[in-house]
Amino acid sequence: MESLTGQHIILIIHYFFFVYGFLAIGSYLFLTVVSAFETSEYVKKNKFVDYSEILASSISPSISIIAPAYNESLNIVENVRSLLSSHYVNYDVIIVNDGSKDDSLELLINAYDLVKVNYLVNKQIPTKPLRAGVFKSTNPAFEKLTVIDKENGGKADALNFGLNVSSNQYVACIDVDCLLLEDSLQKMIKPFLEATDHKVIATGGVIRIANSCTIKDGKLLDVNMPKKMIERAQILEYLRSFLLGRMAWSRLNGLLVISGAFGLFDKKIAIEVGGYDTKTVGEDMELIVRMRRVMEEQKVKYRVAYIPDPLCWTEAPDNYRIFISQRNRWTRGTIETLKMHKKIGFNPKYGALGLLSYPYWLIFERLAPIFEVVGIIYFTVLMMLNYVRWDFSLAFFSLAYLFTLLLSIAAIYSEELTYHQYKKKGTGFKLLLTAILEPIVLHPFVLYAAVRGNYDYYFNKKKKWGVMQRKGMGTTAT
Amino acid sequence: MDFDVFVNYYNQLPFLIKVVWIISVILFIIIIVSIFYLKIYRTRLRNSTAETQKLVTEYEIQLINYLYAEEGQEEQNSIIEKLTFCISSKSKRKIIKRVLLKLKKEISGEIAVAIQNLYRQIGLLNFALKKLDHQNWYVVAMGIRELKQFNIKDAHDAILHHVNHSSKEVRKEVQLYLVSLFHFKGLEFLTKIETDLSEWDQIQLLEVLQKNEDQQDVDITPWLNSNNDSVVMFSLKIAEIFNQYEVQNHIIELLHHKNNIIRTKAILVLGGMQNLDFKHEVMNNFEERTLEEQQALFKIFEPLVSNNDEWFLLKYSEHYNFEIRLEALRLIKNFSPDKFALFKETTNNGQFLEMLNFLTDN
Repeated sequence: MESLTGQHIILIIHYFFFVYGFLAIGSYLFLTVVSAFETSEYVKKNKFVDYSEILASSISPSISIIAPAYNESLNIVENVRSLLSSHYVNYDVIIVNDGSKDDSLELLINAYDLVKVNYLVNKQIPTKPLRAGVFKSTNPAFEKLTVIDKENGGKADALNFGLNVSSNQYVACIDVDCLLLEDSLQKMIKPFLEATDHKVIATGGVIRIANSCTIKDGKLLDVNMPKKMIERAQILEYLRSFLLGRMAWSRLNGLLVISGAFGLFDKKIAIEVGGYDTKTVGEDMELIVRMRRVMEEQKVKYRVAYIPDPLCWTEAPDNYRIFISQRNRWTRGTIETLKMHKKIGFNPKYGALGLLSYPYWLIFERLAPIFEVVGIIYFTVLMMLNYVRWDFSLAFFSLAYLFTLLLSIAAIYSEELTYHQYKKKGTGFKLLLTAILEPIVLHPFVLYAAVRGNYDYYFNKKKKWGVMQRKGMGTTAT
Repeated sequence: MDFDVFVNYYNQLPFLIKVVWIISVILFIIIIVSIFYLKIYRTRLRNSTAETQKLVTEYEIQLINYLYAEEGQEEQNSIIEKLTFCISSKSKRKIIKRVLLKLKKEISGEIAVAIQNLYRQIGLLNFALKKLDHQNWYVVAMGIRELKQFNIKDAHDAILHHVNHSSKEVRKEVQLYLVSLFHFKGLEFLTKIETDLSEWDQIQLLEVLQKNEDQQDVDITPWLNSNNDSVVMFSLKIAEIFNQYEVQNHIIELLHHKNNIIRTKAILVLGGMQNLDFKHEVMNNFEERTLEEQQALFKIFEPLVSNNDEWFLLKYSEHYNFEIRLEALRLIKNFSPDKFALFKETTNNGQFLEMLNFLTDN
């Protein structure tokens, strides 16, 4: 009897993993198909867009680029120059120096002829106070630049200060070390201006990896494939995430996250919902979820839009230590956001947000690493008890591996058929090789970071952002 | 023998495992095919880029020879013949159009007209006109765009027919065609349009209109009275940019429009025209107006303020909205310095004092 119960339990566990795996594969397949439709439609429609008209128009809406900076003295002068070189007419740049301990402020003052000015801040969102004050340039060439020096309060607090200071209709919140292409703003503003029967509350952009790319004077000159496998694997991972996953969720109007590295927001709505939450490390995701939640509660017809063009390039971790720290933070951010907004989950009152996006994130993003670890432990126990049917296991491993590989190839196809950024001979082979190796060279670390993230969230509450050491994109790379 | 062992093994597998193996084999085949095709695709892409560039150079030389040859010369006729033959190929047709457009942008005057004539002579016009009846929105939009780029005015009626097309892209191309080629007269579509003009469309159309040197007179009154709110908004922008003072009374009527955005825009436009009649109307029912309308009034208030408005400024210097409060105090500082000084002496409110100090220093 006992053994019969045990067999039943084992059978239930087997079916649980089987059904979970089947649903995960099914959902990824579904998202891939949806993204293919969406990408094809986007590319077709984009052929009719003349961005130059918006670019030159003085009646185009005003945008503030808000870039928080903390101890960024290595590249800050070059990075600000890159932000100031946008081709959009009606924009300004707000750099929020968030209590940096280095000489960032002095470097900016000297490079851009800054002087302290009187500035009355509309404190719509509470933030840490000013430190040295607000600075503007005496040089008309840099009239679009405002530098704010405030006491340290974290990235979210710095962004909130920027929201308070901005007098424009839209705000582009970006990481100061990101490289924005010159036509980024007009592409990102388009969904806001095209909407007629609904409100666009935010637009997310694709983040591309700039490691090994040739960059000079804040401009991307040449796209290269990095040598290190960890960097290449992240390129592939980003392609999968941005060109397949987010594109599909955009079509379904179910995007729950806009990368903190580059997103454009309707300032009025962002302020009305209270701005960025300073208590979470996943402030980018949390703000989008909160904005969506408020829109649903107010019964406003809205969208979170997404632009798949490669507009923003950033430096990715080139060693496993920093990579794990970054992913650890992402995991904690996801847990915090989903917990804060648990009311939404499986709640029909929130429509697709409550019944589709939230459950997907909970089951296939939040819980996936936990199920995977439990699966590994369970498999080890079975091995030790000599219960493993190796031929059956091989069948399932093959299926999982081949499916992952197919997804990566689909992402490479999406890139090749649309933006074709990796043009050089041999890069196609390198991408394929990366796709073959990625489940072995990157995934174990992604899993480890997620587990650490869970551990830190529950047992190490003091852990906050972690440090991202930058090598800098300001100089020409090879 | 080995194969039999494999078949026997497979046959005794549980159904689920059989399915997993079958799917794995299918995935494996798909992956292998995809990898090979990717290789072919990338190579083809590189080769076709080089081939296209070669053809662009070749056609460019031919077209330049055509344009600078004497009219009716044998050389011209032979080039026309050659190009007419080439356009039967879709890819070559595309390249020839690209080169023609490039040359059209670079030159003007008689030679630009010659390019347009060549476009007709070699039969490209017929291809573009045929596209207008196509079922696929993408082809229709491409056709309209091409006709706009080559300045083909004869297609006006056939294109206007698509003004309410189900595709947004087609509608957008129709609007751009009409305004690019017929300027203000092209705005006739505003009376026919049944869908909304997005802000993006409006900006594009206004940019095209602004580039046009021939600023014809146009009566926008019917559009200001349109049932389509986006048409009213667009007309307000035309009034603002092209200083349509003669429609001020119609714009004043829009202060009672049901749409808040239109009422707000009407305030901004009238303020820009420095119209004094509307000021009292808005001031008298200021409290009933939305925050956006109230902010709009303060935004354009300065040139309209007179000494008689002091009560109004004093009343709203304690408005709950930051921008309104700041603007009211700034105007008080300019128009009634004594009152402003009195504020500073009497207030206990820290935030209010901060604002007063800021205004004193600026």
